[in-house]
Amino acid sequence: MKARSPRLLKDILWILALGGLVGGLFRLWFGLGATTGLSDAVPWGLWKVLNMIAGVALSTSGFTVGLLVYVLRRERFKPLLKPAILLAFLGYGSSCLALLFDIGLPHRFWHPFVMWNHHSFLFEVFWCVMLYFTVTCLELLPSILERYRAEKVVRALHAVAFGVVVFGISLSSLHHSSLGSLFLVTPQRLHALWYSPMLPLFFILSAIGGGLMMLVLVRILHAHWYDPEPVFGPVPEGDGTVCVLDTGAAPVPRGPEGPELPALRRLADIGACVLGVYFVLKVTELLRSGDWRALGAGNWESWLFVAELAVGILLPVILLVTPSARRSPRALGVAAFCGVSGLVLNRLDVGIFGYWRDAAVPYVPSLTEWAVSLGVVAAACLAFMAIAENFSIFEDGWRRLKQGPQMYRASFDAFTHVLDAVLTNGLQRVSLIAVIALPLAWVTLYPAFHEPSHTEMDVAPPVGLDLQRATLRMDGTGAGLPVDFPHAAHQQRLGGEGSCGTCHHVSLPGDQSTPCHRCHRNMIAPTDIFDHHAHTAYVAAKEQLGGLRPANRSCAVCHDADATKTAGSSKTCLDCHREDLWRDVPPAPGVDPKLATSYQGAMHGLCIDCHAEEAARTADAGLAECGACHADLRMREPADARVASR
Amino acid sequence: MYGILVDVTRCQGCEKCVAACVDANKLDADRAAVDRFTARDGLSADRLTSILPVAEGRFARKSCLHCLDPACVSACLVGGLTRGDDGAVVYDPDKCIGCRYCMLACPFHVPRYEWASTVPYVKKCAFCVDRLQEGLQPACVEGCPHGALTFGERGELLELARKRLRDAPGKYLDHVWGESEFGGTAVLYISDVDLAALDWPARETEPIPHLTEPLIAQTPTIGLGVASSLLGVNWVIRRRMKLARDNDDANGRERDHEG
Repeated sequence: MKARSPRLLKDILWILALGGLVGGLFRLWFGLGATTGLSDAVPWGLWKVLNMIAGVALSTSGFTVGLLVYVLRRERFKPLLKPAILLAFLGYGSSCLALLFDIGLPHRFWHPFVMWNHHSFLFEVFWCVMLYFTVTCLELLPSILERYRAEKVVRALHAVAFGVVVFGISLSSLHHSSLGSLFLVTPQRLHALWYSPMLPLFFILSAIGGGLMMLVLVRILHAHWYDPEPVFGPVPEGDGTVCVLDTGAAPVPRGPEGPELPALRRLADIGACVLGVYFVLKVTELLRSGDWRALGAGNWESWLFVAELAVGILLPVILLVTPSARRSPRALGVAAFCGVSGLVLNRLDVGIFGYWRDAAVPYVPSLTEWAVSLGVVAAACLAFMAIAENFSIFEDGWRRLKQGPQMYRASFDAFTHVLDAVLTNGLQRVSLIAVIALPLAWVTLYPAFHEPSHTEMDVAPPVGLDLQRATLRMDGTGAGLPVDFPHAAHQQRLGGEGSCGTCHHVSLPGDQSTPCHRCHRNMIAPTDIFDHHAHTAYVAAKEQLGGLRPANRSCAVCHDADATKTAGSSKTCLDCHREDLWRDVPPAPGVDPKLATSYQGAMHGLCIDCHAEEAARTADAGLAECGACHADLRMREPADARVASR
Repeated sequence: MYGILVDVTRCQGCEKCVAACVDANKLDADRAAVDRFTARDGLSADRLTSILPVAEGRFARKSCLHCLDPACVSACLVGGLTRGDDGAVVYDPDKCIGCRYCMLACPFHVPRYEWASTVPYVKKCAFCVDRLQEGLQPACVEGCPHGALTFGERGELLELARKRLRDAPGKYLDHVWGESEFGGTAVLYISDVDLAALDWPARETEPIPHLTEPLIAQTPTIGLGVASSLLGVNWVIRRRMKLARDNDDANGRERDHEG
């Protein structure tokens, strides 16, 4: 087969990476709360679980192939060593990058270097990841320096390579299990299907298996886009029929096969074997602990669990034991993809889905989280392609590409290509517009930026629960914890049509029934309701001032003509509005009459006094309790029903 | 070692303890008032104490339980949470990097995060350590007008709790919450209704750190064990390859080393 151009892929990756950049800036500028779906109930989200925990798990091939080649001396895997190291380098690098956005105080990422808590598995993970990232750098360096003919350094690095590899394997055996141990602290919270004391073992086994699958997948994809020959075999001549099967007992493929394919197949076999062990252990543990009963619940957790095992383990194993599938690089790729998906799904299950039932609020990653998450992955893919294009990662392929007619492109060609071709290529134009327009649309439409802050919260007006509005539902915060107020019943009890003034104290000038929330417009805090603009016009009309703009001459009516015109130098409201006072009671000293009290205060003030009097009169103590109106105080529903029933 | 005894039968749900807490910790009262309705368990970065309805007409104060062997202290990777000799589990904002592992680790869902801030920190009840040093009681205890909260030495409070159970047989459920759950907590509860709504576990539970700390103590053993076994295996393989090569040379014929 012929190599496809990775150009379209690169374009897509560039868009994703730029989207991630924009998302990352958003996160840094607006903070975690405004830009992510995280909350107190769900403190860990996509960045930690998908980028960090799954991303690191997918990078295990760096140490497993090192183990095969350096320690066990399996020379046939040698061509896969450098791609595996590059994969590990970028896997760990991208995880750390994503974590920088995830932690609340990124400028303190270095704290664990100097502030130690050796009881914490997160501390161990941090150190191992940092050290192993250094190891991958050391392992990758010779391939990079080779091109710059720094032979001395390369020789020195080769001399210590074995020690570095062994160090890296030890570190990996520690932190890949510790990533599972992180979740050991939540026996109460993590769903029983996933919580197990064997989590560390599960994590390292699945990471080794899935990591090998990832390497197989990456190798096949690279061959697909760049240099098919080592995997897919030489380009067939003639009519293109490649494979002729013997009809004998043992079918023998006779078509040309890529030289690296047997090694890849063997790697996938090893991965599948490890995943098989993991599968058996997991099922055994499930039976031992009795948690298998949760599978029968038929809820989405049990389906996720089954999907994770079926897609991630059974499907690759079936493909790898099917003779016809074994011979096809594509089927091998599909098997590897399934293994990788299963691993990622498992990490999402453990880190996110397993906590949903406990959190009681579903965690939906925000657009920013998706943008950064995918952007970091896309950037890692681009870096992989750029390094593989320019350094001898895939050894033969690189040389052949350099000598072949398809001259390799300059580094980062995709970026210059995007800029150059913007005005000539429709796809580029669309993508550029998308890159610019999407964030803009996001800024203007993203609800988090338009949500009123807590203290300036608008109050929702009451809604009628019935057609006659006989019962009003007051839910000022919109929190879904309303008070259902029997308005008609109160009106009747207090004396019918003439009784409005008992509660409703004032209407705006020219208005008949100003709703309460017009002035008491903040739920909690008193609000300044003085409308200066309206007052100038009204005062001018009342005082019959003349001139072109009478309102402009009205200042002296309220303000001291000589003094600077401030609220302090003006008449007080009551100088004019004494007749508007409710029940003729002046505001208490210290209360600013321009401030409408909070909605909560107004409603409480209206109800509580009367209720207390009524309770004393009728000897019904229940009338004076909060629960008389607030049904949620009698038994808070429904948010906590879950906890109560557990 | 101090503690607080919460008597659920005495709590009227008036939330004066919450107000006192907001006041003593200089929290934003407006936000706290909103979080009363919107936050899970009524706890938030501006509301470190809350009152939860645990049954019809029964309320209970919820805040940090100050475990004797706290999961958050064990989990924090920079040691930003510590438990003092007085029993208070205290957060050090100067160390925190914002990983939020303490929030995940706490079995009571207590630590809260300043999500609205661009420089966010974790917020949790610190047992009013400043007030304790001045010889005062924690603000919530002082603010409670119904005597539902009692401050004192944890051992004496346990005695007091048992005495109340003894003196009024049948009034309370025969259990002191916090005596042994998760290895014990400094804040104790006695009640006539079940307190599952406060995230108390239904069955006997060991301290959360016991799940991880024996394991993490094995770290050096595992690391060195893996490294030394790798070296051993590698030595054997190299030795066998060398012997095979010598053998080949002796026989004077080519062999494929790959096997």
